[in-house]
Amino acid sequence: MIQTNELTKTFGRDTVVNAVSFELKPETCVALLGPNGAGKTTTLRMMAGLIHPTSGSIHLAGRTHKDIRQLIGYLPQHPQFHTWMTGKEFLVYVGRLANLTKSTANDRADQLLVRVGLGEAGSKRIGKYSGGMKQRLGIAQAMIHQPKLLMLDEPVSALDPIGRRDVLNLMEELKQETTLLFSTHILNDAEEASDHLLLMNDGHIIESGSFEEVRRRHAINKIVVRFDESDSQSYLESLRSLTCVNRLETKKEEVHVYVDDLAGARQAIIDIAAKHHWPLVHFEVGKMSLEELFMKVVDQHAVADRI
Amino acid sequence: MQWLTVFNRESLEAWRNFKWIWVPLVFILLGLMDPLTTYYMPQILDAVGGLPEGAIIDIPSPPAVDVLMMSIGQFNMLGVAIIVLISMGTIAGERKSGVAELILVKPIRYSTYVTAKWMNYSLICVTAVSAGMLSSWYYVSLLFEEIPFGHVLTAAAFYSLWIIFIVTVNIMMNTLVKVPGVVAFLTIAFLIALQIIGQIFQYAANWIPSLITSYIGEVLTTGNIPEELWWTSLVTVGLIITLLVIASYTLKNKEVV
Amino acid sequence: MILLSQSAAQFFNDNIALLAPIIIIQLILVVTALVSLAKTQYTNGPKWLWVLIILFFNILGPIAYFIFGRDD
Repeated sequence: MIQTNELTKTFGRDTVVNAVSFELKPETCVALLGPNGAGKTTTLRMMAGLIHPTSGSIHLAGRTHKDIRQLIGYLPQHPQFHTWMTGKEFLVYVGRLANLTKSTANDRADQLLVRVGLGEAGSKRIGKYSGGMKQRLGIAQAMIHQPKLLMLDEPVSALDPIGRRDVLNLMEELKQETTLLFSTHILNDAEEASDHLLLMNDGHIIESGSFEEVRRRHAINKIVVRFDESDSQSYLESLRSLTCVNRLETKKEEVHVYVDDLAGARQAIIDIAAKHHWPLVHFEVGKMSLEELFMKVVDQHAVADRI
Repeated sequence: MQWLTVFNRESLEAWRNFKWIWVPLVFILLGLMDPLTTYYMPQILDAVGGLPEGAIIDIPSPPAVDVLMMSIGQFNMLGVAIIVLISMGTIAGERKSGVAELILVKPIRYSTYVTAKWMNYSLICVTAVSAGMLSSWYYVSLLFEEIPFGHVLTAAAFYSLWIIFIVTVNIMMNTLVKVPGVVAFLTIAFLIALQIIGQIFQYAANWIPSLITSYIGEVLTTGNIPEELWWTSLVTVGLIITLLVIASYTLKNKEVV
Repeated sequence: MILLSQSAAQFFNDNIALLAPIIIIQLILVVTALVSLAKTQYTNGPKWLWVLIILFFNILGPIAYFIFGRDD
């Protein structure tokens, strides 16, 4: 539905976004994930037409309007409004700017206000809104003209847990009706709200695909065990003596056992544990936590860059 | 229609933050000040003191047109300052605060955004300046000599063109930089430069917009419109259109954030 | 030609018709500024300071408030 080709943006001597190419399929929800300063906001702003790419291009499939902005809804990271207007007035205003008729703009504004939970607050001045309310009004204004592509820049990062929950639920609903692309630097949010992932670091897209795919690609042969005792030295010695074990790492209570042959190692550890009656409380095979994956991918890339 | 949407929102804002009330009132005060102070000059001199007891001051009362021109001088100083200050943030401020990020991602034409704002400020400023001129004229006619109303109307029409020109320069500067204070500074600097050039090349370039003010004196005195004023007005209209085109173009090619 | 040494009160009485419009307009300006100040949520600087400025600086007080006072 939308495709970027070698999208690049430089500010002075800094290349903030470097040859970014990806494609979003219709009706998907994609998280643009990356640490702060990765270039996520710049990428979204280029796609929204707020800033111009230094090079590269953006293609929108089935483009019937000459103005790409008709098909795009965008919520900036810190949305600012005319604070003297009411929420309803502002929604009708931007609706009219998006070429809706007066009555359609009115109806859409009413519907959206209810939907984002601002039904009552719609007639209040925006200056009196809380951060969470502004964020929800921001989503409503982005949706006013039923865009084909909705882009949200860090929609939940600045919110308290309740506000965050509200917005995540809202996004869950919205992805039923439009293509949703949102940026975040928080892995949990990315995993919770979306099924696809674009991992960005240092201006590059370094990994993309569904969460399952990405996880499989970076699967590492590892077994995590935890014992019901603080003193696990003797068990560690036994583990280390196993031929199938490459190395051990202890993180707090957990012992991470890195191996080559996962199936064989699993059997060996279970055998030895059963034989010596180890007080196991946790035994996990093969999966790497998302945090580790995130750190690993980002690190690898950083290392590659230095070479 | 998009243009009306933006314009109506601008008007609503100008009502809600009382611009439509206080700006005309301030110009009326500016207009009344000079006729009154000139009229009461003898008493003022007396109150300030320094004259011997029983002295009689005999100041010839100045021509009515001169007093009205003093008011226009006020508009050109304090008035222009107010015009520039109230409109310095209309685009720059929205870009700086981030509101523009929500507005300009909607499929709105940049020229619509620019000209709707321009129209709003032009209307406020022309209304205010006209109100100021009329109140000055009323007091001048009351306290000095009658100036024909027709002369004042004609003068106000041409003077409004100069005012609109100032608004336009300000709007153009608004698209160039993001900081309202810098917009105000650039506009004032531009106008001062224009004034200086106008004075130096008064005869070679008698079409410079800032000269409108000096041609108005003749309109007020005789009711005739000098040929130079027609040319200057034509040039001013042309410059206003050009500046608006430049402003729309600049905004379109500028990065919003 | 105007004779000197009129008392201020006398002067004011004689010229009330001329001075009234100025006084009324100034009053409207002050009231409008105060109404706006009361309704405004955020100001640049403390509100009480703006009340003083509006009340005690003729004409310039309200203008300064309208231009610099509000933080929308």
